[in-house]
Formats: sequence, C-alpha cells, structure tokens
Amino acid sequence: MGEISNLVMFLLEWLNQFSAETLVISATIIGAGLTMIAGIGPGIGQGFAAGKGAEAVGKNTENSNNITLVMLLGAAVAETSGIFSLVVALILLYSNPLIGLQAAGFVLAASALGAGLAMIAGIGPGIGQGYAAGKGAERVGSRPEYQGLIVRVMLLGQAVGQTTGIYALVVALILLFANPFLG
Amino acid sequence: MDFFSRLIDRMFLNTPDTDKFAPEVVFEIPENALTEALHIANAPVKSTVTTTWVIIAALAVFSWLATRNFKEEPEAGSLQNFVGALIESIQALVKSTMGEGMQKFTPYIGTLMIYLTIGNLMGLVPGKDIFRLYTPTADLNTTFALAAITFLCIHYFGIKSKGIGTYLKDYFEPLPFMFPLNLIGNLADPMSLAFRLFGNMLGGGVVIMGLLYAVVGLGIPGIADLYFTVFAGVLQAFIFAMLTMTYISMEME
Repeated sequence: MGEISNLVMFLLEWLNQFSAETLVISATIIGAGLTMIAGIGPGIGQGFAAGKGAEAVGKNTENSNNITLVMLLGAAVAETSGIFSLVVALILLYSNPLIGLQAAGFVLAASALGAGLAMIAGIGPGIGQGYAAGKGAERVGSRPEYQGLIVRVMLLGQAVGQTTGIYALVVALILLFANPFLG
Repeated sequence: MDFFSRLIDRMFLNTPDTDKFAPEVVFEIPENALTEALHIANAPVKSTVTTTWVIIAALAVFSWLATRNFKEEPEAGSLQNFVGALIESIQALVKSTMGEGMQKFTPYIGTLMIYLTIGNLMGLVPGKDIFRLYTPTADLNTTFALAAITFLCIHYFGIKSKGIGTYLKDYFEPLPFMFPLNLIGNLADPMSLAFRLFGNMLGGGVVIMGLLYAVVGLGIPGIADLYFTVFAGVLQAFIFAMLTMTYISMEME
C-alpha cells in the first residue's frame, strides 16, 4: 500500500508543477475524447433497427415505404445520444468556459474530465431506442394500417427512454457552466 | 505553373476558420429614445436573426406569388397547383399522425416543416459567407424558441381539451409515486427536441462541413454535403414536426 500511495503522491506532485491552464487544456482534450465513447450505443441500436427493417421489407415487400419511414424515424431519434455527446465535445473543444477561470487547476481539470465522462451514459438510450425503432418497423410491415398508432407508441417510449441521456447532458452542462465548486 | 501551385495550396489542408462555427454580429440596434425605453439599445443582432428575416421575406414573396391570381381550377404546372399539392400533403400527414378533427394544427406544423427545411438547407447556399447567412437552427436560441412554442401548445391544448382536473390527475398515472418522473419527462421532451435539432445542425452540419472545406476545397465536400446537410437537415426537420405532433396529440387524448 505504501508504494502505491507514494506513486500517487508522486504523480500528483508532478502534475502540480504545471500551470492551471495546461492542466485544464489536457483534461479537456481527454474529456472530449471520452465523450464520444457514447457512439457505441446508437451504433448498436441503429444497426438493430436497420436489420429489422430489412427483414420486414423482405417479408412484406408491398409496405416497403412505410417500413422505411418508420425505421428512419426511429433511427434518427436513436441518434440523439450521439448528438448530445458531439455537442458536449464541441463545447469542450471550441468554447470551453473553464479555460481562463481563476481556480485550482485540479478542480478545473476534473470538471472537464467529469463532463466528458458523464456523456458515456449515452450508450444506454442509444441501444434501447434503436431496439424500439426495430420493433416498430417490424410491426408496421405486417400491419401498415396501424402505422400512426405504432409510431406514436414508439416515439413515446423512445422519449421516456431518453431521460437518462438528458440527465447526463444536464450534469455535464452544470459541470461546465454552473459549477458549484468554482465560486 | 506558379498559378497552379498557388491554387493547389489554397485548395488543400488549410487551417479551419473556427469563427465561422458561431454566428457573427451583423449590426447593433441603434440608440434612440424608443430602444432606450425598451432596454434593447446597443444590443448585438447576430446573423442567426438576419438569416431568419431573409427566410421570412423569401417565404412571404413566394406566398404572394403563389396566391396572386387565385383560380378555382389551377392549371397544371402553375405555382398555385404546386402549393396546393404541398398543403394537401401536410394536411394528410397531420391527419394520419394526430387523428381526425385536428386540422387546426396544420398551419403551425406546416410552418414548422417549411421553415425548418429551408433553415437546415442554408448550408448549401453558395456565397453564404458574403451574404452573412448562417444556418438559423445551428443556434440554440432558434431551436429553444421553437421547442418553447411546442411546450406551450402541448400544455395549453392539453388543459383546454381535457380540463384542468383530468390534466393534473394524469400526472399521477399509472401510479401515484410517478409524479416526479412524469414531471421531469414532460420537461425533458421539449428540451430534447431543442438539443436534438441544435446538435444535428451545429455538429453534424456547420462544424463538420467547415472542417471538411478546410481540408479539401473541391469535390469531396460537395458529396459529404449530400448526407450531412441535405439528408440530415430534411430528416431532422421532419422529426421535429413529427415529435411535435405526437406530443400534442398524446397530451390531448
């Protein structure tokens, strides 16, 4: 244990020699990269939706327009988590509010890192909403006269499923813009 | 040869101009007695607002041209015929998404779709830097304002059609302890509408195309524009309108 704590103290003291601005910029860069890990979710979800759409078109070729519309609609909503992550990454890279603040370097750097880490939560809604999109496209294929009802239930479920992604976005924006620890 | 080498230099691998990612200030409201009284003197007016004015003017001129000589039976290929077909398709979309008897929402939904489609496609206008045009939906103010209008519509028409008692009782459905979750869900819906459109247009449109134009000046950005600006723009405009219709009709039932 002694060696590990010595190593951590050594690392922290080594980091402490850099100016606050260097620390914030480094943490921003890492945070922006970590944010985009959320791209895993929409990738899986939209793939599922595309697969179900292709299967439905194969079974019911005369409804292919309806199926394509519902699949695109659901997949575009599933994309939202990736878009939120992209917005936070762009804020971090191009209009970072933490650079230039007068506070402890570690706190600023940790805020930038934390904002990036928070957006990884986008994986969940991405997969879930893509699953809903796939199932919706599948059912519209077999019963195209119920398209309005199916699309409404699908969009309602996807909107509820988005809430944890919104929570993550709110926390990331709080850390960047309304940080309670930075005076 | 020097001319060609300079041309090649300018076409590839420039540094991207990050000032173009944000809207620029076009003019400031002049200071006189009226603006001082309204507290808006010297306020900067950004290119988002001026681009929206340009779109409003273009749509107004288009509407006037289309309904100038209003005929009962428009001839094929006339502007009135085209606009009539457009209105009928929007009415069919509203009817299929919201149900019967909701035709009073057609003006709002139609305006949303037309304005958002044109706004999202502003990235294609050649010479938009010279004319100081900026994609209006790539600014959070525009999308937030539209989502706020949707929010007001949802709750106003929900209260009007259900009555305030049923409206408040529905927050406690299906189980009473879900009240805070329903409340946060109702707040998160318009917020996610605003952020979805803003993120898609700023990140997936302005920033990516700006970076691409800096790296390669010819050819490839045009093909990338087909997906990022045209496809994503039209799809996101459609999604915004569809989700607006879905939220309003769900709150009204």
